Amino acid sequence: MLQLKDASIFQREILILSDVNLDIKKGEFNYLIGKTGSGKSSLMKTLYGDLPLQKGLGSIVGFDLIKLKENEIPFLRRKIGIVFQDFKLLNDRNVFDNLLFVLKATGWKVKAEIEAKINDVLEKVDMKSKGFQMPYKLSGGEQQRIAIARALLNNPEMILADEPTGNLDPKTSIEIMNVLEDINKTGITILMATHDYPLILKFPHKTVKCEGGKVFEVV
Amino acid sequence: MSKSFEKYHKRRLRSSYISVVISIALVLFLLGLLGLLVINTKKVSNHFKEQAAITLFIKNDVKKEGIDKLLVSIDKEPFTKNTRFISKDEAAEIYKKENGEDFMNFLGYNPLQNAIDINVKADFVTPEQMAKIEKIYTNNQFISEVSYDKPLIDLLTKNVRRISFFILIFSALSTLIVVVLINSSLRLSVYSKRFTIKTMQMVGATKSFIRKPFIWRSIKLGIIGAFFALLGLSGIIYYIHKNYPEFNFINDKLQILSLFGGIFLIGIIITWLSTFFATQRFLNLKTDELYY
Repeated sequence: MLQLKDASIFQREILILSDVNLDIKKGEFNYLIGKTGSGKSSLMKTLYGDLPLQKGLGSIVGFDLIKLKENEIPFLRRKIGIVFQDFKLLNDRNVFDNLLFVLKATGWKVKAEIEAKINDVLEKVDMKSKGFQMPYKLSGGEQQRIAIARALLNNPEMILADEPTGNLDPKTSIEIMNVLEDINKTGITILMATHDYPLILKFPHKTVKCEGGKVFEVV
Repeated sequence: MSKSFEKYHKRRLRSSYISVVISIALVLFLLGLLGLLVINTKKVSNHFKEQAAITLFIKNDVKKEGIDKLLVSIDKEPFTKNTRFISKDEAAEIYKKENGEDFMNFLGYNPLQNAIDINVKADFVTPEQMAKIEKIYTNNQFISEVSYDKPLIDLLTKNVRRISFFILIFSALSTLIVVVLINSSLRLSVYSKRFTIKTMQMVGATKSFIRKPFIWRSIKLGIIGAFFALLGLSGIIYYIHKNYPEFNFINDKLQILSLFGGIFLIGIIITWLSTFFATQRFLNLKTDELYY
């Protein structure tokens, strides 16, 4: 599902992480931890094609990250769902239209199928009644649920969640974790960057750490 | 609270669209005025050029039949716009009116000559062509003298050339300013949506899919701007036509329609290209590059 071998992660010309070796299999739930500025986000950005992989080997959901071309990036992002700390919803349209945009952008055409899919993902995150709300009218937890629903729209093989509970209170964080756990149980692989250690203790999974420019597994 | 935020958001959006439409309308209006000037420069310069006349003074012994023949032959010449015969009595009358004194009283006879005024077509109003025309009639047996205002013709030719050159430079500069102004107001409008554009990319939308609604919206603003510009231009044309009908501003309807069509197309093409390049710029940036 995700493999990095002797990979180096760069932010422009600056080396952030070196000799990164990572192997995540289908259906796994992995945490990526580390202090702020340790390189978690840069690693995530490399995985979803926002930063190029310049050195080493890497593949994710069948895409070779070294050979990844600019015009292939949208198609990579359709096979992985991305969840951000700041939700990144489109504030100029309601929840339904946020999800509709993704489906239209990814080639869905039949109205009935589109509506069914949107209702399906909203139900999965327990937000079925919020379709016609504007995103800024929702609480942080609700917005993150919508962001997760958006990530699920194209039946991704993997979800990359970059500190999805970073802006949420502990109770809401647990609710979001429960949603992610449920998604993982359906067979979707999850890599979640976080520094919320109580959450890791509550929902234990394989954990890799970014520290001192290296990535290694911790217990 | 959220309702007032929504209203505020809508109002902000509307005012940003209005300012884009105003700037598009203003610059297209100026470009239209310039186009009008360029189209009519020749017409206006011809109008002034064709006021200049060559006067042929006819010998006193030439009979009426001879003068008529001469008039017919002048009218057939390719350089003749129109001719006017002024008899010596008419000339004396004109002189009397202009100067307020009757020279016949103290001279006892009319010393003036019969004359023909030739208004020459604009294309022939150059020092060289006028000299050629002068030469043709200097040797004519019926004509005693050929006269025209040489310094005026020199000045007219030089000034028309100079003005045409400046209009050309001014047109090029104005077109550049139009492109830069429309481009920067649309760039600003796209810039305000740069994070939205990046989010759209993050969810798997292709560049062309993201660009399309931005371009379409800009084209719509361009069309509205062009409409207002053409409305203003129509007002100006109407005003000129009403106050200076001799310039025949609306007689050549095809030319006016072409100018209007051109302004409309320029409005669409500039907004389309500007938005294309503005969105392309943000589509090509990495997320971190959006902050600086």
